[in-house]
Amino acid sequence: MTASTLSDGNGDGPWAVETHGLMKRFGENVAVNDVELLVPRGCAFGYLGPNGAGKTTLIRVLLGLTRADGGSMALLGHQVPKDRAVALARVGAIVDEPRFHGHLTGRQNLQILAAAREPAARDRIDPALDRVGMSGRANDRVSKYSMGMRQRLGVAACLLGDPQLLILDEPMNGLDPAGMREMREMILTLVGEGRTVVLSSHLLDEVERTCDAVAIVDQGRIIRHGTISELLAGTSELLRVECSDPARAARLLAATALDVAVETDGHAIDVTLGAGTDRTLIAEVNRVLVEGGIAVYRLEPTQASLESWFLQVTSRLGETA
Amino acid sequence: MTTIADVQTSTPGRASGGSDRRDSWIPTMPMITTRFMELRKRRGVMSALIGVTIGIPTVFLLVRLLLHSIAPHTYGPAGGYDIFSHLVAGVLYVFGFIVAATLGCTAGAVDLNEGMFRHLVITGRSRLALYFARIPAGLAIVVPIVAIGYTIVCAICVFAAPTTLNYAGANVPAGLSRPALENWARANAHTVVCDFPTNGPIFVDTPCVTPPVGGPILSSPGGSNVKALPAPQRPASATPAQLKAEAVRIADQAYSDYARLFLRPSTSLMIKAGLWIELEAVIGFIVGLGLASLLGQRTIAVVMMIVLEIILTPIFARARIPHFANVQRAVVGLAMAHIEPGALPLALGGDRGVDLLHESTTVAIIVIVAWLLGWTILGAWRMATRDA
Repeated sequence: MTASTLSDGNGDGPWAVETHGLMKRFGENVAVNDVELLVPRGCAFGYLGPNGAGKTTLIRVLLGLTRADGGSMALLGHQVPKDRAVALARVGAIVDEPRFHGHLTGRQNLQILAAAREPAARDRIDPALDRVGMSGRANDRVSKYSMGMRQRLGVAACLLGDPQLLILDEPMNGLDPAGMREMREMILTLVGEGRTVVLSSHLLDEVERTCDAVAIVDQGRIIRHGTISELLAGTSELLRVECSDPARAARLLAATALDVAVETDGHAIDVTLGAGTDRTLIAEVNRVLVEGGIAVYRLEPTQASLESWFLQVTSRLGETA
Repeated sequence: MTTIADVQTSTPGRASGGSDRRDSWIPTMPMITTRFMELRKRRGVMSALIGVTIGIPTVFLLVRLLLHSIAPHTYGPAGGYDIFSHLVAGVLYVFGFIVAATLGCTAGAVDLNEGMFRHLVITGRSRLALYFARIPAGLAIVVPIVAIGYTIVCAICVFAAPTTLNYAGANVPAGLSRPALENWARANAHTVVCDFPTNGPIFVDTPCVTPPVGGPILSSPGGSNVKALPAPQRPASATPAQLKAEAVRIADQAYSDYARLFLRPSTSLMIKAGLWIELEAVIGFIVGLGLASLLGQRTIAVVMMIVLEIILTPIFARARIPHFANVQRAVVGLAMAHIEPGALPLALGGDRGVDLLHESTTVAIIVIVAWLLGWTILGAWRMATRDA
């Protein structure tokens, strides 16, 4: 398969989501800009970007909620919008916050959605409610649900179609820590069953814990992509040093020829080591400080998180813009 | 190109959603029944629908029944032809349309307003099927409720109808043929001559307790009113034979007016009027559905429907706007007025022959069909093209 050719449309092929040159404009604003995206089947895929980057718009285009202005796409090997009905038959999605008919119960809302799917979907209502822990409140009106409960109901709605692909837009919104943990475990379980989960979230920590791979989007364009380990491999390492005189320690290190950047907050210093730095550099930092008469209480090297890497990437983009 | 080469590529199942024809524009029965449930559970709209089409006529008629049973000489019978015709043309027609339109607007906009439209589109189901499922679901609510309200009106108006007909102040048996009315007039000559309206000259001179309808009034020597003739033609006093002959002549003249009065609505009229107000309710629902789907929200659509029904339609029906007559004829309310059963008073007010802008029945039917199809197409088109 070449990069610019869609799957043949028979539902086979390795990609759960496939886009080529996808475009969506709102007037002068390009919300989705020439997006090339291949999401393999059976993985958890994170889709990250700052607010207004075009994440939700891409999801809406993929699901046929709005029309693309250019490019091509396929879901589960079926071209969209040509074979949209077949493609979406095994797709479940939450886009923005999940909203339902407030005057109906959770179960009745699911009955409406199941009626729009295949007949077997009606038999999946109770298992889906069980799975998201909503069986006890299924007969309450949705207007009485909390945000987190509506979020769970949204996931239950996704499960009605026995989906092979779930597209979840900010699924952690409104969930308490326990709910977030349950959601994370549920996503991992779904992936373990061979389903594909595309997760759009601003909670980078959650994405890091949940996803196998990510794509970073900014101003409608994908700027980085890969597995999380790949992405973090090129990031710098941070060394936090607690010592007797942080200000003098910062001056001392800045005056050396070591390849480090130093910042201090008055209580400790943060030493940024270059990517792929040899660990002996940490010992060298310690030696410089001790020989300078500074008592070192603690040296703590930390690998950059996805969040810090994300901030580095987006800030770099801001500088170049 | 974003490729994640080293991510596990497991062996998931394959999509198999084509077997349920979800790209067909025809809605499935479960879609219709769940949509019916969604509408039926809307307490506010359903209360309004039931209250207006069933509650108001029922309460009105029950109060009349109660009052008549307490004081039959003060309060007339609860039912009868007059009550029926005014309830149908004055209440069920107008308010049935408005509440049906409200339900239509609700069905057309709530999925979008309440965020369910997006969930439904994601199922892959044809948007046209999603739209068309609302039509039978909504009509399954509107039509029976209007029918129940109408049946109650019919039942009370038939069973609580007056036993005698009041024609020009005289109690006359109902449903008489022309010869039967003449026979009755012969037997009640004094009543007919004194009470029945007549246009021509009167050839007898008889004392009446109340002022007669027709010729000039003169005072008789006894002090009572007499129906008088011009002096050269007036006999000194009418013999019984002359009085009977005059009564027969007046009854014969009044028969066409009398024949239009009924104690109770006929079966034929009830069927025609029932179909007519059901059609009006169906139009209200379909147009409201299409308009709300087009606008994407309910409130403005409801207001527009009310304005159309109670402000614009009466104006367009009765005003004579130069070079604008054909546009006026394209208003659905005007077309409905033209196919209104003739035995009912004009729902828009005024006199049918004088005030209503002329329109042929064929044109009226074409206008009604065009409104039903046009708004359905517009609503479905907007639903199919709208961003979800």
